[in-house]
Amino acid sequence: MSGGNAVTTHGISKRYGRETALDGVNLRVPEGAVYVLVGANGAGKSTTLKVLMNLERADAGTAEIHGLDTVRRGPEARAQVGYVPERPDHGYRWMMCRGLLKHVAAYYPTWDHPYADRLSLAFGLRLDRQVATLSKGESRRLQLVLALGHRPPVLLLDEPTDGLDPVVRSRTLSLLAEHLADTPTTILISTHHIHELESLADHVGVLRDGRLVAQMSRDELQRTVGRYRVEIPMGWQATRELQVAGVRANGVREAQWTLVGDQRELIDRLTLAGAHVREVQPLALADAALAFLEHEVTR
Amino acid sequence: MTSTTFHLTPRTRDVLVAQIRAAGLPPRGPFLAATAVVVLAMLLITIQSLNTGEVIAFHPEHQMWSGIVGLLLPIWVWRGEERFGASFLWTLPVDRWRHALAKVFAGWVWLMGGVALFVLWSLALTLLSGGNILAEETLPLLWLAPFTSPTATYLLASAFGLATRHPLRWIVGSVIGFFIVSRVGEVVNAMWLRSVLALLESLVEGPYGLDALLTARTTSQALPDVGQWATATLLWTGTGLVTLWAAASRHRESRRA
Repeated sequence: MSGGNAVTTHGISKRYGRETALDGVNLRVPEGAVYVLVGANGAGKSTTLKVLMNLERADAGTAEIHGLDTVRRGPEARAQVGYVPERPDHGYRWMMCRGLLKHVAAYYPTWDHPYADRLSLAFGLRLDRQVATLSKGESRRLQLVLALGHRPPVLLLDEPTDGLDPVVRSRTLSLLAEHLADTPTTILISTHHIHELESLADHVGVLRDGRLVAQMSRDELQRTVGRYRVEIPMGWQATRELQVAGVRANGVREAQWTLVGDQRELIDRLTLAGAHVREVQPLALADAALAFLEHEVTR
Repeated sequence: MTSTTFHLTPRTRDVLVAQIRAAGLPPRGPFLAATAVVVLAMLLITIQSLNTGEVIAFHPEHQMWSGIVGLLLPIWVWRGEERFGASFLWTLPVDRWRHALAKVFAGWVWLMGGVALFVLWSLALTLLSGGNILAEETLPLLWLAPFTSPTATYLLASAFGLATRHPLRWIVGSVIGFFIVSRVGEVVNAMWLRSVLALLESLVEGPYGLDALLTARTTSQALPDVGQWATATLLWTGTGLVTLWAAASRHRESRRA
């Protein structure tokens, strides 16, 4: 199990009544990557992860985890996964945290008890507490221990820092980084807080209305999206082609636009249209990913 | 980074043990309270029996309560599980159909354990009061009745719970529906209504009905009927197994939603 993609989907589609949750999504998560799936609420992020866990059945398409079909070989595929769902719900609310850890450990022959204990300690979890009495943040931390405890080859994390206070959020990200350092893991993480993952993420996928509108490595993303500072003559009008790319003339002499596309080609097109590109600035990961989410990308 | 390795799925034995443990792990407070009440009741009955000097006979076929416990136990076993949602149970690396059956099995193990304890207590009470544990009208084969009747009812109730998203709505809806249909049938004096009522009656008091399953027909006739009890047990348990098999199939890995 080396090289290639750890997580793959082939044209998965899912509808809930008239609503399209996923529309032909082809996800490619390279092995060892930290892949951040971004999108607005309802874009299909959680549904994608649920399809990978076979908790939701796709209407069309297939999904694989390390080459294991998530439907036909569901148990084997799930054995490779540590999953943190969107909702902090464990089911067994009457159990003590220690009991729940013991229960889940029985399902994973590779469960690393000392590691799970270390994680519990690092997260400040009190194992003698009943699951039902945990706060949202504590439940999240317990879910993270449950997901990481068997050192899975793939982590599927749905908003893992949601509900955590800033200190625990930071500690969680540090622990994830440590986990990555000593355990070969591929992480597919769905989040609204992409800026938190600036130092971890190396691949980004952008879901918009159930469609995967962009999927690339971090380097490629930062080459593709840039902030263009452009000098334009008075009365200048963007050509139809540039308007499609997001360029709007607003009557000022100098404008800044966040544009998506090949940098050289965009500069050529702007120059040909009579504008003068003074500077192209690379964007932070969060801003670059955001460019795909906005219909209007002019700044 | 070193290459990752495949993780194995758990052994069936480990899953069963985990489920048996989970099914038996109750909320601490309510469990202690319930245990205290049961132990106290058993003690009081024992003391009262010994004080009055009344001889207690052992009639395993009279223990209808175990069938009712079997009927209600799935509520306890499946507490906190979303059977049809993105439940925690379904995120674990076990075939969902097998996992559902493992959970049902776990509940059955506790059910049998509980029944065995109660039967032993009944036996002890009979012996202490000077009664005969082999009462004339009770055949030794009927010692199985307290175990077989809850098994059948438990299987049927588990199947019902696994097959329906909202069991309570189905029960309430069925009762209301039956009431309305029977009232309308009475008003128009429908012949079919009599057939339906006769069928329901035979399901309860017929030769192979619930009465035969739960009490070897001792509530509808004086002496137990071992033949009818055995046939009813086979029929009801068989039906329970088949329906459970079918109901668990609703949760198969590859079933389309």
